[in-house]
Amino acid sequence: MPHFAMVIDLNTCVGCNACMAACAMENQAPVWDKDKWRTYVHDKEIGLGSDVNRRFFPRLCNHCDNPPCMSVCPTGATQKKANGIVFVDQELCMGCRACAMACPYHARVAITSDDMREGREFYGSDYRRTSPSMDKCSFCDHRVEQGIKPACVETCVGSARMFGDLDDPNDPVAQMVASGAARALMPHIGTRPNVYYIDDIKWRG
Amino acid sequence: MDVNMTYATQDIWTWWLAIYLYFGGLGAATLAVTFLTDMYLKPHRHLVIWGAGAGVVLLALGSLMLFGHLLDKTAVLNVLNPMILFRKPDAWIAWGTQFIIWMMVWGVLYALPYVRETDFPRKVPGLRNLIDRPFVVTIGTLVQRFHYTVGWLAVINGVGVAVYTGLLLQSFPAVALWHNPAVPLLFTVSAFSTAMAFLLLLMYTLINDQADEYIRVLYERIDLVLIAAELVILFSLYQYLKNGSESGVRSLELLWNDYGWLIGFIGFGLIVPFVLELKGVIKGWATRVPIITASILVLTGGYLLRYYFMYAGVYAYPW
Ligand code: SF4
Ligand code: SF4
Repeated sequence: MPHFAMVIDLNTCVGCNACMAACAMENQAPVWDKDKWRTYVHDKEIGLGSDVNRRFFPRLCNHCDNPPCMSVCPTGATQKKANGIVFVDQELCMGCRACAMACPYHARVAITSDDMREGREFYGSDYRRTSPSMDKCSFCDHRVEQGIKPACVETCVGSARMFGDLDDPNDPVAQMVASGAARALMPHIGTRPNVYYIDDIKWRG
Repeated sequence: MDVNMTYATQDIWTWWLAIYLYFGGLGAATLAVTFLTDMYLKPHRHLVIWGAGAGVVLLALGSLMLFGHLLDKTAVLNVLNPMILFRKPDAWIAWGTQFIIWMMVWGVLYALPYVRETDFPRKVPGLRNLIDRPFVVTIGTLVQRFHYTVGWLAVINGVGVAVYTGLLLQSFPAVALWHNPAVPLLFTVSAFSTAMAFLLLLMYTLINDQADEYIRVLYERIDLVLIAAELVILFSLYQYLKNGSESGVRSLELLWNDYGWLIGFIGFGLIVPFVLELKGVIKGWATRVPIITASILVLTGGYLLRYYFMYAGVYAYPW
């Protein structure tokens, strides 16, 4: 069984936001509210005076191996697959938002009945959602199960997003993680994330 | 990789969740205290009816706050089913929901024989017919026979609710203010302190009976100890927050620079009632006004604690 993970190289992310758009269309995100996209690219200026770098920082659900969003979920809507993907069963979810409170990575978004109404107008008869619920990145599990990479990875122009199997020693993603070049965010919280970042700042200026 | 952190408070669970936590703790602790008083200190019909009534009404109102904010209200059925505890034993909301339901059930049952003896319910249309139904009479007789068992089942679930309110916040690991063992302790002590205040208020106003003086004195003494314990827990929490993590330091700055927390909650919600009750216990008061004042202050402080806790939780985002 694979153990899926993503590596994001901050050196090559150019902040084009193509990943956001690809994800939104693939997963029918509420594009009318920028706070509700499953993935988001932060744009930050780092440094002082003339020594300033612009950093683009994509964020998404980290598909934690010890996910606090799952343990607090009272309905059992948040579950983890054997391949490491954490997902929300929208039929079970009652939308208490405890998962959003528990997530240290700001990865949860609320899809309300109003969003569903707009969604039906925007996406037309293709709209798949059947009930309001909390939502988050699913690593495009519907694609991954068919052997296709997540939409954001496939569309990334700078190849900043890489997707792979940590249990495969020949997978470049597994190698980048094992070498320490790619690191998890806030590992001290104990969430054991499966999204890793390659730092950009130390290579600059 | 934790560079350029952003610190943010949340706007997901706000004042309404504070009401849920407050009413939950207050209602449950009130029910537990009145039932224990009835079982071991003095059989007290009025106190039990008020305790069970407060437990049920406050818990219902608090739960409505949460229910009203659910995204999909029909899916709540998933947590109302007691079997959820087997599927999700790690989720405190699942435990809390079950504690609340069973506390209400055992609470109403415990109070039933007293309700049947009371005039007021007989004047309420519908209720009179209900409490005289043969099956209700049978249940009342059974409850009387298993008085202590039913009482303890209600008390255990009530204490469960009070502790749960703190455990729920503790289960969010990203926020130092919430994710520490002081929180369940603080919320439990505060729940019982507000329950004492509520009962003192009641016993000095609506059910004011000179024969209950020794119960009032006991409640005052217990409340005094609880407020003292709350101050000690807050002092430890302060020490914990001031070094350790930036999330904690920022929460501390938010709280201890806010007059609502500092003067409103700690000053008027804890220290002033502590002094008023201490004087009452040591020397006594000539009138009931100071203890009524202290009770109102403790009750207000209980809400302020939960309100400020919700707003002062700081997340640290690494971007
Ligand atoms: S990043 Fe947040 S939502 Fe995703 S698995 Fe971890 S805790 Fe859950
Ligand atoms: S909002 Fe849904 S997924 Fe999140 S904790 Fe509540 S029931 Fe679980």
